[in-house]
Amino acid sequence: MDQTHASSPLAGAVHDLATEVVLALRSGDHLATVCGAAGIDEENRTGIAAARVIGADLLLPSVLYGRHPHPGDVAVLDRAVREFPPKPDAPAATAWSHWHMISTLQRFAPPPQGATGPGTAVGTGTTVGTGTTVGTGTTGTYAEPDAAWLENAPWQSFTHQLSVLAPLAVPAAPSAVQRAAADRAVDLARGFVRAVRRRDWLQAAGAGRWLAAIGGEPATLGLERGLDFVELMGGHDPRVTLHVRAARLMAEARAR
Amino acid sequence: MYTTDTTATDIELDLDTALNPGEIDGVYRDSRECAYLALLAGGGALLLSPPTPRPKKG
Repeated sequence: MDQTHASSPLAGAVHDLATEVVLALRSGDHLATVCGAAGIDEENRTGIAAARVIGADLLLPSVLYGRHPHPGDVAVLDRAVREFPPKPDAPAATAWSHWHMISTLQRFAPPPQGATGPGTAVGTGTTVGTGTTVGTGTTGTYAEPDAAWLENAPWQSFTHQLSVLAPLAVPAAPSAVQRAAADRAVDLARGFVRAVRRRDWLQAAGAGRWLAAIGGEPATLGLERGLDFVELMGGHDPRVTLHVRAARLMAEARAR
Repeated sequence: MYTTDTTATDIELDLDTALNPGEIDGVYRDSRECAYLALLAGGGALLLSPPTPRPKKG
């Protein structure tokens, strides 16, 4: 990518990585590595940080198409998990995205028998709740962060936070966040409309992705047309396109 | 060494911001965009409904 106009090296790397994920989603081809195509390997700290931002969506093509991810992409995601763990005072969303990265890695490379995967809710409050990682990399015990704060969040901030956590909106990946989204589909639909009105295309795309993943939005919303509009207006940001494409793939799968 | 340390710090600051973005300031649609929505009609009744009241300042 021409990073001349990127606001920072990290922003440029995120743009590159998201672009490659979108290309992989469009082609359905996973023979090539997403990270390799973006010029990112395990030794590239900016690239690893970009992988932390993209999170589990790095492997989204494999998740949605049900194919094995490229080992290079798995290695970069694993490195991002270990290189950038949530700080003790990190916001809950950061803890959740980190948890989901581990969960996704374990989805493709289950931990050895006897080790406990993600799934146990602990902690309270709106921050931390990061659980405990035992061992290194993707094996060991890692508890679900707290999600109680989502239940009482106003629908505007609920949608904002869910949009930040859009990588969790994938099939067959149960979590407390996904359950909260399913319980508040109408709030998410309201948030989707609000985001479109505010021209916050990334938030709209993330909210739309959640609605496509969980269903249950009001029929009057016009989600499909709304996503078309979001992509039309915000498609210059590959993260917007990534969420919209993911939403469409999940909606198509639900319709089958 | 100085450059490396600075870069590492910058990356972590950028990363924290990227992982926890605040909401952007709302910029509401203009009539041209409403026309796009109208062209995409066939749904989206809520998206084409009148805008919600904006909060009063002061």
